[in-house]
Amino acid sequence: MALFAASAQQEAVAAPIQHRFDPYEDNGGTILSIAGADFSVIAGDTRQSQGYNIQTRYARKVWQLTDKVVLATNGFAADGANFVKKVKQRLEWYENAHQKQMSIKSIARMIQTMLYAKRFFPYYVYNILGGIEEDGTGAVYSFDPVGSYEREACRAAGAAQSLIQPFLDNQIYFRNQTFPADQPKPIPGNLPLGTVLGLVIDSFTSATERHIEVGDGLEMYVVMAKGRAVDDLTSKGALPEGVVVEELGPLGEGGGERTFLVRRTLKRD
Amino acid sequence: MNHHPAAWGQPLTAHQQFDMYSTNPMGMSAPRSAHSHGPVQNTQWPLVTGTSVIGIKYEGGVMLAADNLASYGSLARFRDIERLHALGTHTILGVAGDMSDFQYLKKELDGLLREEETLTLTDAHPPLSPNNLYTFLANLFYARRNKINPLWNACLVGGWDFKKDESFLGYVDLLGTTYTAPTLATGFGAHIAQPLLREAYEAKAGVDLEGRPGADGRLLTAEEAEAVIDDCMKVLYYRDARSINKYQVARVTKDGVSISESKSSETEWMYAEGLRGYGGQTQ
Amino acid sequence: MDTLVAQLAPSRRGDEGSSSTAEWANNGYGNLDASGAVAGMDVPGVPDPLAFLSMHTDSMSTNPQAKIKLAHGTTTLAFRFKGGIIVAVDSRATAGSYIASGTVKKVIEINPYLLGTMAGGAADCQYWETYLGMQCRLHELRNKERISVAAASKILSNLVYQYKGMGLSMGTMICGWDKTGPALFYVDSDGQRLKGDLFSVGSGSTFAYGVLDQGYKWDLSDEEAQELGRRSIVAAGHRDAYSGNTVNLFHVRENGWEFIKNYDLSELWYEYEEKKKADLAAASAAAAGGVPIDVE
Repeated sequence: MALFAASAQQEAVAAPIQHRFDPYEDNGGTILSIAGADFSVIAGDTRQSQGYNIQTRYARKVWQLTDKVVLATNGFAADGANFVKKVKQRLEWYENAHQKQMSIKSIARMIQTMLYAKRFFPYYVYNILGGIEEDGTGAVYSFDPVGSYEREACRAAGAAQSLIQPFLDNQIYFRNQTFPADQPKPIPGNLPLGTVLGLVIDSFTSATERHIEVGDGLEMYVVMAKGRAVDDLTSKGALPEGVVVEELGPLGEGGGERTFLVRRTLKRD
Repeated sequence: MNHHPAAWGQPLTAHQQFDMYSTNPMGMSAPRSAHSHGPVQNTQWPLVTGTSVIGIKYEGGVMLAADNLASYGSLARFRDIERLHALGTHTILGVAGDMSDFQYLKKELDGLLREEETLTLTDAHPPLSPNNLYTFLANLFYARRNKINPLWNACLVGGWDFKKDESFLGYVDLLGTTYTAPTLATGFGAHIAQPLLREAYEAKAGVDLEGRPGADGRLLTAEEAEAVIDDCMKVLYYRDARSINKYQVARVTKDGVSISESKSSETEWMYAEGLRGYGGQTQ
Repeated sequence: MDTLVAQLAPSRRGDEGSSSTAEWANNGYGNLDASGAVAGMDVPGVPDPLAFLSMHTDSMSTNPQAKIKLAHGTTTLAFRFKGGIIVAVDSRATAGSYIASGTVKKVIEINPYLLGTMAGGAADCQYWETYLGMQCRLHELRNKERISVAAASKILSNLVYQYKGMGLSMGTMICGWDKTGPALFYVDSDGQRLKGDLFSVGSGSTFAYGVLDQGYKWDLSDEEAQELGRRSIVAAGHRDAYSGNTVNLFHVRENGWEFIKNYDLSELWYEYEEKKKADLAAASAAAAGGVPIDVE
C-alpha cells in the first residue's frame, strides 16, 4: 500500500541506529487451526526459542478459554502469556456479570478491541481462535497483531505459516485441484475429523523437518459440538500410534460441548 | 557476529558494529544524538554486570550456580559479590545482568517477604511459594518492559513446591519472557552449559512430552547434579571471558535453602603453551 | 512495628502499576470509555512514539525487517452514477511479500445504508469503521433520522485527525444513500476528506483508474456500471502484485446496499481474454467477408 507511505515515517527510520532497548523478541513456533462442520481443531507446537537457542521444549501456546472456545497465540511469548491472562480475566468478569460463558463471536470482537487498544505499542502476537459457534458449527477466527480479524475455514500462523498455509490452501480450500465434471468442488470446512487431524499432524511433522524453530511437542485441542459422537477420536485405533487423547472437563456448567487434548511428540533436533 | 547464514560475508550493520566486544562502558561515551534527547531518559544499558546463572533439577531438589564476579565492561571490577539470593525458606533467586537492578530486586523482594511474614504473625497466612515469587518477578519485569524502562536482568528461580511435592525451576528476563524446564541457563551459559546440563539430565531421566522424566526414568542424585554443575562452571570459566573461577552452588530441597561457600574448579592451562597463531604468539 | 514495615516494604504499589492510559487497555473497554467516547490509547513511554512504532512494525512495506507485520489492503474503488453507487474491491492482504490472506472482506458494512472500504492498515479500517457504525446508530437514536453520508464521513475524518502523526494508516471511501441521493466521500488517515463521483484507493488504484476513466459516464445502466467496477478490479489485480484473489462487488441504491457477488479474479481474467479473442476473430471475419482467419 505504497499510496500512504508517509514521509514522517521514513524520516524516523533514517534516524541513527543506537544501542537501545528492544522490547520485542520472536520466540518462534507455529500454530494452526482448522474448522470442521461440527468440530474445530486448534493446534500448536511446544518449542520456545530465541535465535538458535531452544529456551524450553515445553511451553504452552494453546489455551482453553471456555467450554467451546480455544485460543492459540504465537510471536513474542511474554506478550502472548500476558495477553491470554487478560483475555481470561475479561471472560471471568463476563461470566460473573452474565451467568453464562461468552460466545466465540463475542470473544473474537473482544480480542479485536483488546489488541487495538495497544495499536501504538502493539502486542507482537498472532492469535487464532477456534471453537464452536452458537449455531453449532466449527469456527476459526484469525487476527493480526493490532486486531484486524476474519472468520475462516483454516489458518496457520507463526514461524512456519508460509510452509503450512499453502498446504492447507490445497487440502482444505481445494486450491489448484481439479475435479471431474460430474463431481462438484467440495465446500471447504466439511472434512471429517480423522482427515483433519491427519492434515494437522502432517503439517507439523513436515514443518519440523524444514523449520528450525518448530518441533519438540504437538498439542491439538479438539472442540466437539453438542451431541456430536466422539468415537472417531476416542475409539481404539482411531488415532495413529503414539498419539495420546485426554478429555478436558468443562470449565463452566458444561453445555454439552466437549474438549479433548490430543498430544504427540515432534522431533527434537 | 551475525551467525545467520544469509549474513555471512556481509558487512556489519551499524547496530552490530556497536560495541562488538562488549567493552561498554569502558573507553566509550554513552551514545548521544539529537534523537536520544527526549523528555524521558531511562537507563538503556547495563553497567556493572554478572554473567551466567545455571540450574538443574535433581532427585528431591533443585540446584543453582553462579560465579562471584561483577564486571564493569571488560574489567573484573568486583570479585566477591553474591548473585544467589535466598527468598524466604524454600526459594532461591539467581541473577545475571545489571547488578544495581539486582540490588533493587533484592530490596523489593525482601520487603515483600517481610510484609508477608508480618501477616503470618496474626493470621493463618500461607507463605509465598516459589511459583508465587516467580509470577511476581515475571509481572515486575513485564511491567517495566512495558514502560520501556527495563530491569536489565535474566533470573533463574529455583524452589520446592509443596503443593506438587516437586522442585520448581523457572527463567524470567528483562523482556518479561518466562519459561520453565528441568535444566536452565542464562546468557552465555545458554550456549555453553545448557547442552551439558540437558545431556546429563536426559541420560538418566529420559523425556516425556513435557520434558519431564520418562515413565521409568529417575532424576540425578544431588551428588551427580553437583558434579555436572561443577563441570559446567569449569567449562564456563574456560570460555567465558566475563567469568572468574570462584562460584557458589545453592540447593533447595524440602528441608530448605542452602547456599555453599565460594569454591573453585581445578583448571588446566598447560595446553596453551603449545598454541601458536593467536595474539602476540605468532610463531 | 507498622512504621518499620512501611519503611522496609516494597514501593510497588503505584510504582509498578499501570499508568492512566494503560489502565484503559487493561480494563479492557478497548479505547472506549463508559459513555462510548474515545478514551486514550496505550502509547509507549518513549520520546518519539511514531519512531518507535515504525521501528517495530511494517505497515507500509517501508520497514520490511520489522518483526510485526501488519496486514494491509490494496485495490478498492467506488463511483457514483445514475443508478446509485458501485463499490468494488479485491480481497488480498499482504505482509511484506507474503500473501497473508486472499479472502479479506474489504467492504465494511457500517449499517444497511452505509458502506466503507478498506485500504491501508486492515485493523485501522476495520476498527474505526465499526466504531463509526456505533456513532451512526447513536445519531439515529438521538435525531430520529438516519445520518447523512457527509456527516458520517466527517465523524470518521475528525476522529482520525485526532490521531494524525501517530501512525494510523487508512484510505477509505464512505458510500451511502441519504436525502441528497447517492453520496460518496474519500477519507484518509492524513485527515483529508473529499466529496466526489469516482475514487480508487490503494497500490492498484492507478490500474483501476485506467479502466474506470475510459468507461465511466453518469448514464451507465446498472449492468454496465457493475461490469465497469468488476473489470477495473480485474485489471488492477492482474497488473498489481499486491492486489488479487477475488473481487467483491456491491451496489448501493435508494433502499440500501446490496452485495452482488464474489468472483474469482483469475477466472474473470481468463473469461475477458477469451471474449477479447472471440471479438477479434469476429471482427476480422467480418472484415475478410465471412472467412475466419487465425489471428495467432
